[in-house]
Amino acid sequence: MSRQAAGTAFTALLRRDFLLAYRRRAELLQPLVFLLVVVTLFPLGVGPSPGLLANIAPGVIWIAALLATVLSLDSLFRSDFEDGTLEQMVLSGQSLALIALARTVAHWLVAGLPIVLLSPLLAMWMNLPDEGLLILIESLAIGTPVLSLIGAIGGALTVSLKRGGQLLSLLVFPLYVPLLILATSAVSSAVAGLPYTGQIGLMIAGLIASMTLAPFATAAALKLSLS
Amino acid sequence: MNPIYLFFHKTGSPPWFYNFSGKLIPWLWAGFFLLTGYGLYLGLLVAPADYQQGESVRIMYVHVPAAWMSMMIYGLMAIWGFIALVWRIRIMEVLIISSAPIGAAFTIIALVTGSLWGRPTWGTYWVWDARLTSELVLLFLYFGVIALYNSYDEPRKAARAASLMSIVGAVNLPIIHFSVVWWNTLHQGSSIGTSGSSIHPSMLWPLLYMAIAFKLYYGANLLSRARVRLLKQDHRKRWVKDLLSKETS
Amino acid sequence: MSHTPFILASYLISAAVLLWAALSPVINKRGLLKQLKLRQARMEKTQ
Repeated sequence: MSRQAAGTAFTALLRRDFLLAYRRRAELLQPLVFLLVVVTLFPLGVGPSPGLLANIAPGVIWIAALLATVLSLDSLFRSDFEDGTLEQMVLSGQSLALIALARTVAHWLVAGLPIVLLSPLLAMWMNLPDEGLLILIESLAIGTPVLSLIGAIGGALTVSLKRGGQLLSLLVFPLYVPLLILATSAVSSAVAGLPYTGQIGLMIAGLIASMTLAPFATAAALKLSLS
Repeated sequence: MNPIYLFFHKTGSPPWFYNFSGKLIPWLWAGFFLLTGYGLYLGLLVAPADYQQGESVRIMYVHVPAAWMSMMIYGLMAIWGFIALVWRIRIMEVLIISSAPIGAAFTIIALVTGSLWGRPTWGTYWVWDARLTSELVLLFLYFGVIALYNSYDEPRKAARAASLMSIVGAVNLPIIHFSVVWWNTLHQGSSIGTSGSSIHPSMLWPLLYMAIAFKLYYGANLLSRARVRLLKQDHRKRWVKDLLSKETS
Repeated sequence: MSHTPFILASYLISAAVLLWAALSPVINKRGLLKQLKLRQARMEKTQ
């Protein structure tokens, strides 16, 4: 397979995914609205005390991001699976890992990036101190792609199942634990004036590792679901 | 032909595996009961109480081996999963999915005994210490694999999905464990377990006997579950029909 | 506080879990064999 063909396949897939996403924009807004609602529920549930909210802000925002991502992952491969497009993609002879990566990138751009862009609003609601805002955005910018990459494996494994959505969250949440720990620690450390570069560094390492490994696992899972 | 290679080749045949494991199982149970009896005798009656923790340290003789088994079984599932995915060996698929509930059982034992150990020692039933938290995440990983397997209709496809998930989980497991350990040092100082890295021999021996005993339990339970699953999957085949008629006669 | 109830509970619960895990394949096998024999008897009757 020539490099050029793979490259054009990648961009073609991305373009197609964006077109489809644009046509379904109402559906894509749901996880984001969910994100906003979940974060809103916390002050309502634990009380509006600024100190308390500031304390739990990194965790709450990140957990809400996890939940919203899992919601958007279920439909990652489903419509293509149901109408046979996925099968055609597998048969096309293109590297399935590349196809998986293209789909994951598209997912992040329409589902993960908006979370990053909404985070200042969430930080304001949760009373996150200013010192933490930049790191919050940074942690989400690095972390949400990892959520998409690992989540794609779960999405591919459950795409052929009837109620795969619920199972998807069970499968994927344990795998998200290290990311959650590192990201919230980075933000909390930044707020406290402590060093956070270690956490960010590890998160970047995780991003690179998942970028190189996850597409292959996703490809294997897609082949499995289609067999 | 190399006898070891021949042995593994034979295990690929379900009727041969069924018969061979049937002969092996009673020995495994016998070994389990002997070692457990001796290990508990040493641990509960002979070994001393801990200087700091008192008598509750005796829970260690069931908590630690159970935790070791919970991790070993998941590791085996991942290794066998890789073999099963690459070489499509059916007996491996059966062993993987038969191991999962046993692994989950050991994880639950580790969690419950850990919690009961914590109450008299640190005053609380649950503490988010590194090991208990990692065990809890491991339990969710087990549940995920089991749920994934049960969601698929076709057994071989289900086993391949479970294998893939086991591999992904196992790759993440050390990362999860280290991140939880690190998270724990950030938020608390407490640590569960024996008081120091060197264990007195009078405590080490019962621990080792129990650890081996649990491995024998795993072997016996795994083989009996695998046999049942083979019967169920192969119920239309000749060897099962012959077996049934032999049993009724 | 006495440690004995906790030690006892730990070992009893562990034994209970291990017992249940060991028995469930045995129970499954008995049910399966019964079911298969019934099915075989039914098929022999129709032949």
